[in-house]
This record gives sequence, C-alpha cells and structure tokens, in this order.
Amino acid sequence: MAGLGAAAAGGAALVVRPGDPLPASFTSLGTGEATIGFHGPRQAGVTTEPPAHAAFVALTLNRGSDRDTLRRMLRLLTDDVARLTRGEPALGDTDAQLAVLPAALTVTFGFGPGLYQAAGLTSPVADLPGFSIDRLQDRWSGGDLLLQICADDALTVTHTQRMLIKDARPFAAVRWVQRGFRRSPGVHAAGFTQRNVFGQLDGTANPKDAAMETAVWAPDGSTTLVVRRIRTEIETWDLLSVADKEAAVGRRMDSGAPLTGTAEHDEPDFTAVDDTGLPVMPDFAHVTRAHMTDPRFKILRRPYNYDEAPDSAGRPDSGLIFASYQADIARQYLPIQRRLAEKDLLNEWTTPIGSAVFAIPPGCSEGGWIGERFLDS
Amino acid sequence: MDRRAVPRLLIALAAMVAVLLPGAPAFAHNALTEATPAKNAELKKAPDGVTLKFLQKLNPDYTVISVSDADKQKVATSDPEIDGATGSVTFDEPLANGVYTVAYQVVSTDGHTVKGSYKFTLDDPSYVAPTSAAPSPAAPSPAATVSRAAPAAVVDAEPASDSGSSSALGWIAGIAVLVFAGLAGFLFIRRRKA
Repeated sequence: MAGLGAAAAGGAALVVRPGDPLPASFTSLGTGEATIGFHGPRQAGVTTEPPAHAAFVALTLNRGSDRDTLRRMLRLLTDDVARLTRGEPALGDTDAQLAVLPAALTVTFGFGPGLYQAAGLTSPVADLPGFSIDRLQDRWSGGDLLLQICADDALTVTHTQRMLIKDARPFAAVRWVQRGFRRSPGVHAAGFTQRNVFGQLDGTANPKDAAMETAVWAPDGSTTLVVRRIRTEIETWDLLSVADKEAAVGRRMDSGAPLTGTAEHDEPDFTAVDDTGLPVMPDFAHVTRAHMTDPRFKILRRPYNYDEAPDSAGRPDSGLIFASYQADIARQYLPIQRRLAEKDLLNEWTTPIGSAVFAIPPGCSEGGWIGERFLDS
Repeated sequence: MDRRAVPRLLIALAAMVAVLLPGAPAFAHNALTEATPAKNAELKKAPDGVTLKFLQKLNPDYTVISVSDADKQKVATSDPEIDGATGSVTFDEPLANGVYTVAYQVVSTDGHTVKGSYKFTLDDPSYVAPTSAAPSPAAPSPAATVSRAAPAAVVDAEPASDSGSSSALGWIAGIAVLVFAGLAGFLFIRRRKA
C-alpha cells in the first residue's frame, strides 16, 4: 500500500499488460490482512483512519428487553467482533472462509437512548431537536443499538454485518442499515481528505492529534456519535457553475482551499474583503457557518458517501452518511448544526432525511464486553 | 431544389435556433434592475441609505449589501432589509463627501450567486467636514438633515462574478439567428426568382 501511494504521489503510472508478472504491490495482501486491535480503553473505528466501506446497522431492542437480555446480547456480539476483527470466523460462522481477510475491520458499538431506558439507566444522549431544514424519515432515524462496521473491503463488511445481525436477531430487530463508501485504499496517499459525491473535499477542518483527543474523548474513554443521512440534490447542484459551488461552500472545488487561501489547510480569513468591499468568504457559505477554531468545540467528521439506484428518470439517490464524533453533543455538535440550519447556502442542495444519536461506551479488555461498566452492576 | 425544400429548411433553421439559444438557467439568474443612489450618481445631498431592486425575490439569508468609501473602509449600515425583490440598508451616520462603492451579493432562485458593484459620488456644497481642531457639536447639522437621494434610475451595473459565458452564448445565438435568417431569406428570394 505504501508502495502504491508513493508511486501515485510520484506520478508514475503503473501499467500492467496481460501476461506480464504483477508487481509485488499488486500481489501483496497487505490491505486484506490488515487488522486493527479491538480491545482497549476506547473503541476502535472512531479516531482510526476511516476505511473504504461501512455499514451503519441500527437495531430496535425487543419489547421487554432488560439488563439481563442486554448483557447476553452484548457478550455474544462482543465475542463475534473480537474474533472477526482478528480475521477469525465468529463462533458458528456458516461461511468461515469469508472471515479470513479482515481488511482493517472495526466494529463500533453505539447505545441509543432506548438501550439505556431498557436498562433502567439515564441516557447520556438524547435525540436531536428538530431543525427547519430536516425532512426526516423514520426509516433512517433512531435506533437502540448501533453497529458501525468499517473495513477496506465490501465483502468483509457484508459478512460481518450478516454474522452480527444473525446473532442479534433473538434480541432485536433491524431498524435501518446504511451502507457507505469512501475512496479505496491505495487510490490516494493516507491522510488525504476524502471527496463526497458533490466533489467537495470533506473533512478538512477535522481536529488532529491533541485537538482530536480533546474534541472526541471523554475521560472515561467514551464519546458520542451523530448519524445523519443527508440527501444531495444532484440534479439542481449540476446546474451550478464552479464559482457558484465555491460560493456555497467557501472553498475551491479543486484544492479545497478556502476562498481566501491557496492550500487546503490554510486557515480561512473571514475578515478579508474584495476590491468592492464584499467579504471573500461569503457570510452564508458552508465553511463560514460551520467554522470553529477552539478544539473544544470542534467535531470529528467521519462521513461515508452513499449512492443507491437512481429512479426510472435517472435521478440519482445519493448523499452523505454524515457521522460525527464528539465528546459532548450539546456543547459541540448542536451549536454548529444550529448555525447551519439557520443559514447555509449549501442547504439549498442538501436535505437531512435521517437522524440518530448514540453514546459510544468505552472499549473493553480481552475477555470483557462492550457495555460491561454500565450493565454489569 | 424542389418546392418542399424551403419549409423543410425553415424547420431545420428553427430547430437550430432553438438549440443555440441559451438554456433556461441563464434566464433564471438574478440581476440588479434599479438602484438608489443610481450608478455614477453625483449627489448634492447625502442619501439615507441604499436601495437595490432586483429581478427576482431576495432571500434575506443570502443577501449582502455593502458600502465602502474611497479608502475601502466599510461604511456602517443597518442589516439589509428585504422586501420582495428589493433590499435596502440605511447609514448609521450621515455620509461625508466623497466617492462610495456599493457592492452586493445575492443568490438567484436557482442558487446562482450574483455579485456586482457600482460607485456614486456625494458632493454636498453645504457639507462641513468635521475638523479635529474645533469640534463643534452643531457642525454636521446641514448634512444631518438628509433627504432622500436622487430618483431611482435603471442602472447598468457591472456584475463582478456573474457568468460571462451565458451572455457570450446569447451573442453567439443572436449572431447565428441573423446568419440563418439571412441565408433563409436569400434562398427564399432566389427560389421565387427562379
């Protein structure tokens, strides 16, 4: 993978003709065999580099669920995940050969308000308030338990999703599943900001390193997740010129640089005005509205694109599975979302159609299970 | 050429003209139609504010009207007040004599961002520039009794970032129409003579 990244960065084209021996980087199973440790004080799949494929699986607990059923379910699912993320089949895996290439598989457990209610506990998260821009559908909203399954291979995600749903079935029903994708490994250098289906670089303002620690993690190793399904109105977006798109976003479409800068990570200058006195970063541009400089108020965006079948007229059904991690939804996510709902030109081409919130409990050590700190008392 | 060729030719020309005309989005863009003070106006009395009238209804969230002086310093104004297709700002303080730039940024109903600007000059003969040497509380009184500015006039504003491509397309289509109309007329006349 590193070899491919270097080759791509150097601009050298790899052309393989039929019959030629494959270059070593093509035959290496580096991507497929990669693993990300599951055990630890914090769950994986949050600040780890997002792999190419994801399934967000939201479950509704059976009526009458209590701590006892939750314990049994979470013990079982934790055991499955511990094995699958190592590249081993889950117990009773009916297609064990599909488990051997984990491809950086992570499964992150999220607890919705309903799970805490079933356990007789106060939920640390609450459903988001309604926003004027929302057009929420039940089929993409809510959920008692979330499994965020991420891997660099779609078949690995599919197999993991199948195993986990099979084992969750005695305890819960599937509420919704959202499948998403990002760029595949080896397509560009690691750490590159992904592009969304609108062609925008997406995630430039994410906190990094120490700022990410502050923004994402609570001292106990927990965090929170907001999942929003945001439909992109591609038909009308396509009518815009590049300059129109840039005015709506506040960034250049090619480089991702703010309209006041030249490189992607240049800090936008919201005070800059042009020759005629107009702000260079329009006051209604997405970046102007969403921008936060203090890391305590930033969120970690970890979104995935979605692209379902177009309708019979060829109109796309595409958008973003917006996923943001933050230590505190009320302190970090809500102020940003309120500002965006109030005024953001990009809203003209984006429609939130699903919304869900989850607490991400701390991780567990080997032999433990996710949620044990809350439910084992 | 047989007799049916001419109508056929005309149908083909009509189809070509239809294809060459700019598409709907070009007409859906918003544009400034009227401004007070008008473009390049030379005012003798300080205006209370600026009123800009556009082709399309304005969205208050996406309407920016800014006024700056010759030193490119922003003049303090109210937030834009929107009434249908008209946006206006009022000045916090009476203007001093000088050249001012009015700039606007609005968003068309199709999402296209339209920017433009123009200048006007204030040259109030009764205006007394405040002097730091002898600050008199009554000094700006003549200028303070401001009246409504010059009557509205249709302005030929310069859209700064409006798409030049759509107007270029319009020209191309226009020239194409003339060329084809001429050709059709020529053929038609030749046919009748024959």
